[in-house]
Amino acid sequence: MTAVLTERANVALDTYVVDIAWSADSRALAVAGGEGAVVLVENVVDKPQAKTLGEHAMGAIAVAWQPGANIVASSGQDSAVALWDTAQAAEIKRLRPGMGWTERIAWSPDGKLLAAAAGKVLSLWSSAGELAHKFEPHAATIAALAWDKPGRDLAAGIQGGIAVYRIEPPQFSVRRYTWPAACLTAAFSPNGKFLASGTQDGTVHFWNLVTGKDSQMRGYATKVLMTEWSASSRYLATAAGNDVVLWDFGGKGPEGTHPLELRGHTERITALAFQPNGAHLVSAGRDWRISLWQPGKETMAVDAHLSGGEISAIRWSPDGKQLAVGESKGRLTLYDFVERAAPPKKR
Amino acid sequence: MASESPVPVTVLTGFLGSGKTTLLNRILSEQHGKRIVVIENEFGEVGVDHQLVIGAEEEIFETANGCICCTVRGDLIRILGQLVKRKDRFDYVIVETTGLADPGPVAQTFFIDDDLKEHFQLDAIVTLVDAKHAEQHLEDVRAANEQIAFGDVVLLNKTDLVSPADLARVEQRIRSINRTAKIFRTQSAQLPIDKVLNVGAFDLERALAVDRTFLEPEYPFEWGGVFELPAGAVRIRTGSEEHDHDHHAHHGHAHHHGQDHNHAHDPDHEHAGHEHGPGLGITFLRVSESSEGVLDAQVEHVLRAFAETPIDVPCGGTLEPGAHLYRLDVGHGGAQFTLDVKEPGTYAVFCEHLPQELSLRFEGLTPSAERQYASHHHHDDEITSIGIADPRPLDPKKLDDWLGYLLQSRGQDIFRMKGVLNIQGEERRYVFHGVHMMFDSKLERPWGATPRQNSLVFIGRKLDRKEIEAGFESCVAA
Repeated sequence: MTAVLTERANVALDTYVVDIAWSADSRALAVAGGEGAVVLVENVVDKPQAKTLGEHAMGAIAVAWQPGANIVASSGQDSAVALWDTAQAAEIKRLRPGMGWTERIAWSPDGKLLAAAAGKVLSLWSSAGELAHKFEPHAATIAALAWDKPGRDLAAGIQGGIAVYRIEPPQFSVRRYTWPAACLTAAFSPNGKFLASGTQDGTVHFWNLVTGKDSQMRGYATKVLMTEWSASSRYLATAAGNDVVLWDFGGKGPEGTHPLELRGHTERITALAFQPNGAHLVSAGRDWRISLWQPGKETMAVDAHLSGGEISAIRWSPDGKQLAVGESKGRLTLYDFVERAAPPKKR
Repeated sequence: MASESPVPVTVLTGFLGSGKTTLLNRILSEQHGKRIVVIENEFGEVGVDHQLVIGAEEEIFETANGCICCTVRGDLIRILGQLVKRKDRFDYVIVETTGLADPGPVAQTFFIDDDLKEHFQLDAIVTLVDAKHAEQHLEDVRAANEQIAFGDVVLLNKTDLVSPADLARVEQRIRSINRTAKIFRTQSAQLPIDKVLNVGAFDLERALAVDRTFLEPEYPFEWGGVFELPAGAVRIRTGSEEHDHDHHAHHGHAHHHGQDHNHAHDPDHEHAGHEHGPGLGITFLRVSESSEGVLDAQVEHVLRAFAETPIDVPCGGTLEPGAHLYRLDVGHGGAQFTLDVKEPGTYAVFCEHLPQELSLRFEGLTPSAERQYASHHHHDDEITSIGIADPRPLDPKKLDDWLGYLLQSRGQDIFRMKGVLNIQGEERRYVFHGVHMMFDSKLERPWGATPRQNSLVFIGRKLDRKEIEAGFESCVAA
């Protein structure tokens, strides 16, 4: 089998595409725009339709689609979180999680709770917009937010480590994984064994959640903003330069090994996403290139496309069959992921 | 792929009460046509048309290796990272630091963080100094010294609140910490905006105009002036104008250090600094013409004179022009002396201290030319500037080794460094600058007809001039 991405359609949104979220059924997407707009895109096969739901004054930062439902949450520089009813294209409620910008939002996998990080303050909200819990403020601004796959644990990455909350309302116990650097990402492996974090000082740190042991992966030229697990939990893809750096968690794990390096970008990688339910990885860089990789099988990109501008966000649809690529100049392009039988090898 | 040119960033630093907010409001309200984003250290809006003011809390990102040189401002990375996603682009960013902040992490942020480097270019660090309280702050607070050490531009503000003598002393003190900063004396932070914005202090393209006067050797005198001396007695006075006839009863504020530094908690602390010693060194030389150039031509003679044992002159005493070094007993109040001029003519006068510091005046006479010299008397603050000016070509390999070693071993203590270098066999100027261990360099425009010359400045804590000079010497091409 050989896989390719085929461009199906695109739509011009006239705003910097800051963040993209797919609906559970892949029939629509929500986009957070740099100018502040929150845009709903109907994923019509040949001609996607864009409609502005509303806005966050000064700029939208994040957008998240409630799993299994039609509510979209968005956040922005106005410090608010807005909940949108996508069926009615109407605002349901605006929440004020804190004084500062709300930079991170994340729905629990069952869609019942929305976690919001506004500066140092982490809070949980119901899908109706009721405050469910407000945690004690952290010592530093929360840079990353992530639920584990079962939705029991919620991780908050800050300067100095990662706080992991066990979400068992009304109990919210915390475990702290400390590391004296600014933890910019937090990523649970789907099998629940590892918690990985990219840091400001150019390392990837990870904790074995079973043994408690932690390890550090060095050698990055700059801060690590991308840490993406494969669906199988076998690979952790990271990037902080022109190459995708892939750590293999198979066998005895990545400690003491050299990572696989996927080379092809000629400028810094700005987005990285592993295919849900699949084995493919997509990267995009400042070279306007979109590369499709099959880690473990090929070290060369199996497919590549050149976009029309700088790529600012990429997201796989939940079924892993479509890919949305957003550009800084506002174009949103939809690709289909297509697997074909490999041409017969000539003897 | 190419994008817009980077947005300049000015860092505004200075103690609480030094006038940062006043300057900021002036910049924002002035009609300059720029769309400015201000990142302030406190919440609270400055409501000015078309300008964006963002309140932020300084958040220092430290690193696992504990290196202060890798410390950056996390809040800036986040905020500026979001701002570049807006299409209504702004032209300028001003970052205001808290009064007690060390400007190092802000500056380093723009060297280290790749995202920011792509969109922003540090323009200059502007340090505001409250002229009235500066000496106290410099004595008591480490950060006050660091803010001056980091500054490309220093606004000596609130000059209306201090006497000319105090002002001169404060400026001298600032100069002893940072010899390359452009110092402006201001009231209510009033000065043309182009003196603080778009200065280009970190722009290697603008050839790092390291002003040669900052690279001079240090002298045992601070001031020289040219006078036409008439025959007969010239009265020399120090101390306050009103009461100088009664010097025993009054303490002229000029000489009596206004702030009585409290060293109570530090009994071993030796104030080896800017005490004026037991007297004022002064010498008079006959010169042929009246110009600033004539002063420089005398420097060798004056250095020799200042190396001599001085002739002590008590208050009320008499001295004669000539290449002797006199030491005037100026006491702590006003004093007067008589200069007995036998041969009228043009004389160069060199003084250990700035005349303003002691209210020194030659009655009825004003200098036809004068200039200041970088002084060698060090204060007890430990931050200094070391300048090197030398025409000899350097060996690139040796230079690389030396700078590498210097950054590794002394990077934590070096706040700023910059230079323009003459590399052997290279037609272009090699320019560099650095903040702590962060270093940036490139080959710049050709020397052409300009004489090839190395000019380097290091500003830092506990720098060893001999060590740096020896290091430089080791780079000279064979």
